[in-house]
Amino acid sequence: MEETKKEQTTTHKIGIYLWIWGILFVLSFCSYMVDWFQFQGLLRWSLILTFMFLKAGLIMAFFMHLFWERYALVNVLLWPMTAIACFVFLMVAEFKYTLFSRLFYFFIGG
Amino acid sequence: MSDPKIEGYDFKPGFRGLAQDAGSDQTMFKGVHWGKAMMWIFLLSDTFIFSCFLISYMKGRGSTPAEWPNPSEVFALHVGGVSVPLLLIAIMTFVLITSSGTMALAVKYGYERNRKMCGWLILATALGGLTFVGMQAFEWSKLIHEGVRPWTNPFGAPQFGSFFFMITGFHGTHVSIGVIFLSIYAYKTFAGHYDTGKRGWFTTIKGDYVEIEILGLYWHFVDLVWVFIFAFFYLW
Amino acid sequence: MSENYNDNKIIQAQSSETVSAGGSGATPDIDYVRPAEVLEQDLYHGHSFITKWVFCQDAKVIGIQYFLLATFTGIIGLILSWLMRLQLGYPELAGFMTAEHYYQFVTMHGMIMVVYFLTALFLGGFGNYLIPLMTGARDMVFPYVNMVSFWMFFVAVMVLMASFFVPGGPTGAGWTLYPPQAILEGTPGSGMGIILMLVSLVLFVIGFTMGGLNYLITVLQSRTRGMTLMRLPLSVWGIFTATILAMLAFPALLVGGLMLVLDTILGTSFFMPTILKAGEVLEYGGGSPILFQHLFWFFGHPEVYIVALPAFGIVSDLISVHARKNIFGYRMMVWAIVAIGGLSFFVWAHHMYVSGMNPWFGFFFASTTLIIAVPTAMKVYNWILTLWRGNIRMNVVMLWCLGFILTFVNGGITGLFLGNVTVDVPLSDTYFVIAHFHMVMGIAPLMVIMGAVYHWFPLVSGRMLSEKLGKWHFWVTFLGAYSIYFPMHYLGFIGVPRRYFEMYDSPYVTSAVGMNEFISMAAFLVGAAQFILIYNIIKSLKTGKLAGKNPWKANSLEWFTPTVPPEHGNWGNKLPIVYRWPYDYSVPGAKEDFIPQTTPPSKVSDTEVEKT
Repeated sequence: MEETKKEQTTTHKIGIYLWIWGILFVLSFCSYMVDWFQFQGLLRWSLILTFMFLKAGLIMAFFMHLFWERYALVNVLLWPMTAIACFVFLMVAEFKYTLFSRLFYFFIGG
Repeated sequence: MSDPKIEGYDFKPGFRGLAQDAGSDQTMFKGVHWGKAMMWIFLLSDTFIFSCFLISYMKGRGSTPAEWPNPSEVFALHVGGVSVPLLLIAIMTFVLITSSGTMALAVKYGYERNRKMCGWLILATALGGLTFVGMQAFEWSKLIHEGVRPWTNPFGAPQFGSFFFMITGFHGTHVSIGVIFLSIYAYKTFAGHYDTGKRGWFTTIKGDYVEIEILGLYWHFVDLVWVFIFAFFYLW
Repeated sequence: MSENYNDNKIIQAQSSETVSAGGSGATPDIDYVRPAEVLEQDLYHGHSFITKWVFCQDAKVIGIQYFLLATFTGIIGLILSWLMRLQLGYPELAGFMTAEHYYQFVTMHGMIMVVYFLTALFLGGFGNYLIPLMTGARDMVFPYVNMVSFWMFFVAVMVLMASFFVPGGPTGAGWTLYPPQAILEGTPGSGMGIILMLVSLVLFVIGFTMGGLNYLITVLQSRTRGMTLMRLPLSVWGIFTATILAMLAFPALLVGGLMLVLDTILGTSFFMPTILKAGEVLEYGGGSPILFQHLFWFFGHPEVYIVALPAFGIVSDLISVHARKNIFGYRMMVWAIVAIGGLSFFVWAHHMYVSGMNPWFGFFFASTTLIIAVPTAMKVYNWILTLWRGNIRMNVVMLWCLGFILTFVNGGITGLFLGNVTVDVPLSDTYFVIAHFHMVMGIAPLMVIMGAVYHWFPLVSGRMLSEKLGKWHFWVTFLGAYSIYFPMHYLGFIGVPRRYFEMYDSPYVTSAVGMNEFISMAAFLVGAAQFILIYNIIKSLKTGKLAGKNPWKANSLEWFTPTVPPEHGNWGNKLPIVYRWPYDYSVPGAKEDFIPQTTPPSKVSDTEVEKT
């Protein structure tokens, strides 16, 4: 809107930003610790992904104000991610197949 | 960012509100500035760009039979003779999150029409971004010094260097563009363009502190992307 | 068939100026419309030739600029197709053409027609012109960015054209630009040609993003009072959804293009496997060619719908206006557009059945491909049901619409063949594929463009196009296009491969040779017929019959501007107020057979209008 007729926007207390800020530091530190302690395998992956999505979610929800936006905007922004999710899912299957065929034909000998 | 007041329009919450907003006339995103809506859609498009980069990286890394270099070792720094894994990356992450926090506060103070505070916080954010780019330049030169090139590297699969330089380079470009815009907006804030409603240089739209929020969205997005790059490139 | 619908006396009483805001009529309640949420948009009015016609910020002028530049590239694409047909039909006459030239023409023809012609024409041309007018906005929301968008497109086209003149010529890798061959020596244009092509695409994507943001935010945030999403003409819905697809699909092309540029210039191996050339191992190694195919088609399939959805939308409006009947199942049409748009992101690898991807993908992508046929078929039924017992005006616009429906059904049915893995495998890379996609995304959208030109030319110029020339244009194009593409299905069935420079001596050469000559003759004729339209436009601009206001007696807002052609700012002093959908044609009980969107309910209280 070029010039909205609304009055001054109400803002949130500074505390919530500081809290989120602090949590983001803690989460980043945690994900760094995953590497520090050299967790491997499923544990590493689940921890990395959990911390990643938590951080991303917090940034989007509070720093980018999505938590306070109306559902119309939130839904428009989040639904297209299903296409990305599908792309990721299929490419996981694809790289496994490519790796399989490379190992099979180049190293084992097809 | 509570619901704005619009004459003749009762806001409903949640999905009911979604149906009501989508079914109403004039606007779908009630009370959302044109520029802010544009920035969100642009960021959605940009998300697809970075997603495609990271998906390509996943496909490339996953399907190469060659040994993939261990990022924990490649990106280690030697501090006092001890090799600390990912030290620089950790500091970069902290710098970027710090700048994200200052940006969030700048938006808040902007809406409270606290011109000085808003301007200084934007400058602090720009400084954080600049530090990040500087450290990235250091990281790049260190790796180049060690013989990593886009087409080859001494540690293993040649795609490692390709994806590393491409993805961090594209992200670094975003950060640099962000720093440029942060500097411009810091100037505009200090000059009081948003208090007087001065029109922008290329638009007839009047200046408003909502522009700080739009800038903030971009900056937080850059941080958001780094969260994913950090997880997938450095921790995988 | 008569032409008396050009009589437009009635409309004056219902133009937007006479419609007052809610509360002043005899029955204040039913005419109430919420007050404006947004203050009026300030516009920058150009004051010199440069700011009025060159670096113009008026969406209508930008739309025309897009239209003209896209048409220019389209004519280049047409000439390239003539050269290809000359080689295929009469190789003895095409002695000047080498195999390299042929591949370059194939590539440039494909890329130009899909991206620089159809996409730019529908979204840049029709989108810019129609969106602000149909939504009741004064202009696009960011006019300056919109102007830059066009000039980015201009630079992209210039870079593309420059590739004809660099050493080695333009790229000859096929419009899909598959690596590794796209950037390896031996492929025509593997040096500068491919780089310029990719740079041009990147510029196009950047420019298009600027325009696309404008279209989306204008539709979402800048509609006039009373204009809900479900009162938008389907043209806007089609263009809007196509723009969303473009905003989400072009990133994949951008990423693929950037990586291919890096492979070319820096020698990275994103897409390049280990390659033996003349017994020598090249520097490349370990890359994944199939990754590029995935990225390309993640863009490429939505791109098909970027071209098709605006055509669906526009043709719905044209059919409704010229059949004097509301569009059958408007809401179903909207949801079908949205569903097709959404599903189009889940079908991309049906272009890759023979590429060597994970074999399980065939199940997934064949299923989604056949699912997407459902909303598409619904749309076809709805067009036919709109025509059913309508008061059809058999004019040029309607002819193009009917031509579209036929062509689209034809191309859609062959799509079912190609969507099934087992049927696709033998048909892959034959002329059957060429016939399919030219029918479904070449000729069909083109027919809509032609219909739209005849329909909206009176609005843009204030004069009618000649019906007589239009009918010649239509019949030659329609029959000619079928003469080109029908035989190609047969060529595909007997196994003639696509992209071959020459057939040499093969068992099917006897039947293919005669057919190729016939196809080529038809192609020359159809191409030439397009110049009838150009002649028609130039002639009608000067001597065409004056159109006056609303010559087709249409309902949608673009015909109700205070001046025809509309001025910058579109609506004079007062924005229109919308009370209904744009499809109130032949409403029982109404005096006229159309009720414009700006007519308040109190004026038509005794009629059976749809509640919208």
